[in-house]
Amino acid sequence: MWSVVKSVLAALLGVQSNQKRQEDFSSGKPAAYIVTGIVITLLFVLVLIVLATFAAR
Amino acid sequence: MQSAWRWLLVISLSASGSQANANDWNMPVGVTDISADIFGLHMTIFWVCVVIGLVVFGAMFYSLFRYRHSKGAKAANFHEHTSVEVLWTAIPVLILVGMAVPATATLKNMYDSSDAELDVMITGQQWRWRYEYLGEDVAFNSNMSTPRTQISGAETRGEHYLLEVDEPLVLPINRKVRFLMTSDDVIHSWWVPDLAVKQDTIPGFINENWVKINEPGIYRGQCTELCGVNHGFMPVVVHAMEEEEFEGWLAKRKEAAAEEAMGVDREWGMEELAERGESVYQAICSSCHQAEGQGSPPAFPALANNQQLIEDVDWHLDKVINGVSGAAMPAFRSTLNPVEIAAVVTYTRNAWGNDTGDVVQPSEVAELIAQ
Repeated sequence: MWSVVKSVLAALLGVQSNQKRQEDFSSGKPAAYIVTGIVITLLFVLVLIVLATFAAR
Repeated sequence: MQSAWRWLLVISLSASGSQANANDWNMPVGVTDISADIFGLHMTIFWVCVVIGLVVFGAMFYSLFRYRHSKGAKAANFHEHTSVEVLWTAIPVLILVGMAVPATATLKNMYDSSDAELDVMITGQQWRWRYEYLGEDVAFNSNMSTPRTQISGAETRGEHYLLEVDEPLVLPINRKVRFLMTSDDVIHSWWVPDLAVKQDTIPGFINENWVKINEPGIYRGQCTELCGVNHGFMPVVVHAMEEEEFEGWLAKRKEAAAEEAMGVDREWGMEELAERGESVYQAICSSCHQAEGQGSPPAFPALANNQQLIEDVDWHLDKVINGVSGAAMPAFRSTLNPVEIAAVVTYTRNAWGNDTGDVVQPSEVAELIAQ
């Protein structure tokens, strides 16, 4: 689970090591990465909304 | 801080052998706090870009030279380096956020038009600006005053060629003035660099902006959204004056407006109407219908020897008051007052061989507008 989150975060930043990439593609299901990706993106948007609301005060 | 930036720019320009003054190349510092903020941001970001450029290209040229093939340099063959990649992703993010924070603070300030002490409605029209001091009963059109002869080249160009108007927007200094900006026809954009205001005026929308001018003076700008054939001929001139002087000006304008309102009820003579009408015609109508009423068919019909116009005064009045839908002719019912409409109709009915002898009274026009 933690390795999936780390891979998704690396994908958000756009930087991933080759070794890690090989691991991700040899083990794990695509659905886990897709769901984690959507959840983390939503969390990111939420953080931005909170920050913007806070800044607009 | 800001003057240090400016000096650096002056030095860098003169060092490169250019005799030009930095101010000729750069944006103006302007005369409001906001415009100074924007200038400061512009220079800060400019120097951030200069430093990045020097570091990146410096490293590149150094590497090209130091590790050249003729000196036996061997290329390193590696596929990836995660920590370097993270570094070159993180550094731009930090730089961008570092620039975004002060920029957003300025932007927020620019949009905060609350607590204004004076409201001015700015309306774009093909091709002039209309200014209305809300709650003060003062409103007027601001037309370009550069003579056509200078544009055609028959006369040498004046100092403020295409940047001069018959009546500038007059504003007080040290007072927050809110602009409510809209348009009667197409999208225009009201731009005065020294005030750091560049705002689209859109039909059916009201955009807001504000200024608090620090120094008295005359500030010039232009329409900066392509709006038709005379887009280049609707400049903006702002005359900023001391508060007391402004109050005096406003009182005088109010008096004149009240006098004008009284003028609607009295009987006018042919000569005074025609005289007034000629100045209205030249300011408002001549950009399309031409100075001698010859028009510019097919878009802008001739008024001189126009049989329909000569025979039907009601038709003529209707076109001026209500405009022609689907054509370039705007409705002047709210742009010109009854005296001006009566004057310009009387003038066109008796000029350039249109010898109808008709006199249209302002009171008749006022009745037509009220209908």
